[in-house]
This record gives sequence, C-alpha cells and structure tokens, in this order.
Amino acid sequence: MSGTGVEVAGLAKRFAGVDAVRDATFNAHPGRVTGFLGPNGAGKSTTLRMLLGLTRPDAGTALIGGVPYRDLDDPSGTVGAVLDIAGAHPAMTARGHLRAYCALGGHAAANAERVAEPTGISAYLDRRVGSFSTGMRQRLSLATALLGDPAVLVLDEPSNGLDPAGIVWLRTFLREYAASGRTVLLSSHVLTELQYGVDDLVLIDRGRVTWEGSLAEFTAHGTSLEEAFLRFTSDAAPRTAPGASGAPIEGVRA
Amino acid sequence: MNRLIRGEFAKLLGTRLPMWTLVIAACSGGGLTGLLALIGPENATPPLPGLDTAEGVGIVVGMSGLLLFAPALIGTIAVTSEYRHRTIGTTFLTAPRRGRVLAAKLVVFGVLGVAYGVVASLFAGGAVALGAAVQGVEIGVPPLVLVMLLVRLSLAAAVYMILGVAIGALARHQLLAVGIVVGYFYFLEHVLMIIPGVNAIHPYLPEGATAALTDFTFLSDAIAEQLPLASAAPTSPMIGALVLLAYAAAAACIAVAVPLRRDLR
Repeated sequence: MSGTGVEVAGLAKRFAGVDAVRDATFNAHPGRVTGFLGPNGAGKSTTLRMLLGLTRPDAGTALIGGVPYRDLDDPSGTVGAVLDIAGAHPAMTARGHLRAYCALGGHAAANAERVAEPTGISAYLDRRVGSFSTGMRQRLSLATALLGDPAVLVLDEPSNGLDPAGIVWLRTFLREYAASGRTVLLSSHVLTELQYGVDDLVLIDRGRVTWEGSLAEFTAHGTSLEEAFLRFTSDAAPRTAPGASGAPIEGVRA
Repeated sequence: MNRLIRGEFAKLLGTRLPMWTLVIAACSGGGLTGLLALIGPENATPPLPGLDTAEGVGIVVGMSGLLLFAPALIGTIAVTSEYRHRTIGTTFLTAPRRGRVLAAKLVVFGVLGVAYGVVASLFAGGAVALGAAVQGVEIGVPPLVLVMLLVRLSLAAAVYMILGVAIGALARHQLLAVGIVVGYFYFLEHVLMIIPGVNAIHPYLPEGATAALTDFTFLSDAIAEQLPLASAAPTSPMIGALVLLAYAAAAACIAVAVPLRRDLR
C-alpha cells in the first residue's frame, strides 16, 4: 500500500531501573486507524514519545515512512502529533500560537485559519489559550498537529477532556482522515473509545506488545472487546496470540 | 535556521514578555539612575562625586548595572516557561533538531537583551541629562564618552539575558532557575567579593567583569574602605567585555548541548 506508515521494531526504554517499554514491535498502516490500547502505565506514552524523537530509546527503531522522526526533512509536514507534553502558552491567542508554529514548521501562515475550521476553533482564534477549557485545548492541539497537512497523525489519549459529542466528532474526523489514505495512530486506555473508531489494534501491557491485528480478529478472542482485552492483559492470559496474519507476535513469549 | 528564528520570534512576540521586558528596562535604566541623578550624587549619604565629574556620571550610570540580574531573570523565566507550559514539547515536535532550535532561541533572546540594554541605556542617559539640567551643571563627560558607556551597558544586558537563558535551559524548573539567578547575582557574587583570597577572582566573575566594562567600581571601592582586605583591582573595560562574551559563549554552548539528549517526559 502506498503512503507513509509507522514501523516500530524492538523499542525498549528503562526509567530509573524500571522497564517502561520492552521490545515493542508493531506497525500502523496508511488508510487505517490504529488503536494503541493498554492499561495505565503500560508504556503507551513512552512508546509514542520515542516514535516522535522526544525520548531516546535504549534499543530498537521507530520509523515514519522508513525514516526516524528526527531525520525527516519536513517533520511537522509529515507527522502531526497530539501529546500531553506538547502544550500552548496560556498568554498567547490561539491564532498567535498557530501562526508561531506555522513559522517554526515552515508552513504558510494561512494554514492557521485553515486548520481552525475542521477542528471547530474558528470562533475562538482570538481568545487567549489560558481561557480555554480542556476540551478546547485538545482541539487546539489537534489543530496544531494539522498545520503541516501531515500524512501521519499520532495522538496520545486525544479524547481526554472532550465531552461525548466531542468524542464522536473526533472519531468521525480521524476516520475521514484515514479514509483519505493517511495513517492514524491513537492511544487510549478506554476500551469503548476504540471500539467504534479503529480498524487495527495494538495491545501493550507492562511495556510489551501482546497483540497486533485487526479489531475484528481481536474481538474474535472473546465475546466482547472487554473480555478479549482482559485476556491479553491479565497475568493468566495466554501469550500465544495471533498477529494480524494469524502468526505469533515476535518477542511475545508463550 | 531562518525559519526557526522567525518561529521563535513569533512565539516570543505572541506573549506579553517583550512588553514587560521593555517596561522593566525603562524602570531599571531610569529608576535608580534617575533617582540618584535628580537628588544629585553629592547630596547622597555618603556624598558622591557630582554629575559634573566623570566619576559621578560613571557611578550614576553604573547603578543601572546593579540591576542587570533583571535581564538574566527574564531570559530564565522565558525558557523555563517553555517547560512549565509544555510548549517545549510542541516546539521539539515541530522542529526535532534541538540544537538548531536552541541556537535560534539564543539569537532571539540576544536581540531581546540588546533591546533591553538600549531602552535601559536611553532611560539612564536621559536621567543623567535631566539630573544635570535640574541641578544646572554640565555633564562631566563628553557626549560620546557617555554614549559609549551606555553602549557597554547594553552589551552587558544582552550577555546577562543569554546567561539567564542558559541557566533556564539547564535548570528547567522555574522556581529553581529563578533561585539560582537571584541567589547568584544578588548574594553569592557579593559574598565572594569579601572573602579574602577568593575575591581575587571577582574581576573575572560576571558582575566583576561588568563592573570593569562599565567602569563601575563603586561597590568594590566601598567594600575596600570598610574591610581590612585588599580589593581585587578590576580589569580593563576591554578584558571585562571579553570575559563577559566568553561567559555568553560558554552559556550558549551549554544551553544548546545539554538539552540535546535529554528525554522529554
């Protein structure tokens, strides 16, 4: 399939003697929304930060279109990211914030207004970010991620702070984004959030990827998504899960 | 690199920091200097040389130098705000080659430092002229000498701003960084000035070098009068300038190099 995909292979990171991520391997494909699911503290955020060059891995590689993030010619024109460690200055207006990051990323200033429309912040562009609700900040983060019209979107728990209508809006938005041939990778610890919004699922538990494949294959492992999730995140869970093609996942012990 | 500098300028100009920087510069340049110039240095306790002497002009202008920790503090607060508000994450996502981002930041804050220095100098120069006019005396130095003194003060302000940026980039935590800046410039360097033996290195510390650059030896002279120890003689203005530029260069290298490999968490 053409397009820019995400390839993560053997990523590992230790913080203060604790394995945050161990041998994480998975792919996210163009044209599909990939959910990155795992319990709190499973290593989702650390993995995404390693993918985006914010945290240096102890081992492994994370490539976007075959290139590490830091080596991309046009990073923000290739990948847009929504992370909790990437914020906006409260004293700036949303327009000022978006224009500043247009300049920093080398994108046309008019993109600031262009991304405001689909993210629903057009009416708030001249308000200071400090007055924004959590949900509005999330929309601004998404708008910032879209400034370079990227081929890949990476989102860490993007629906935090969104109301139910906002969650539905985000799901629809991401689906449409992927439908245009682009890659969407989003993490969540909320099962129901991913139930209707993703095509593929990568499950991470205690720093290790325990399942990768399509959502349909995953739910086939239990009567519900919840049951399948518990199967693959519990200590008693069998660790011989099939991959997307039905093959065992490399690095996952039986 | 140009787009990074433009981006960093846009980030800076989107906040109120430049406005407050210039307000603080006007206050620091016009405040202490203006007060001393208006009441007349010879009316101070103890009496100081008047504005009609070169020494008096040097002391009055040099008073602004005592507030040079302000640009350092502004640089520190600006950089630590990036960590506090997590804009550093957005910045490194947009431009992941961190060395270039931090170099662009240093250029931008160097310019802000010069702007601070120019505004502070204009107000200090204005205060001297106003003070001399009020007292009906001629300024004790030719205009060019006064301008050069003010230019040197501007240079020192830019260097202090860069020192502040470097301290902020290293410490990251805002309170800690502010504590380091205030603790060092307000306390530690003054303590070092009065420790026998150690005070010999004072002319080569930032404040000592600034005193040499601006010919401001008022504090070290006062200490020498009060304490039975030999005051370390200040270096020449040129060496003072070189020492300050060396500090700025070292600070810039540290500010660029240290965050390169640090994980953002």
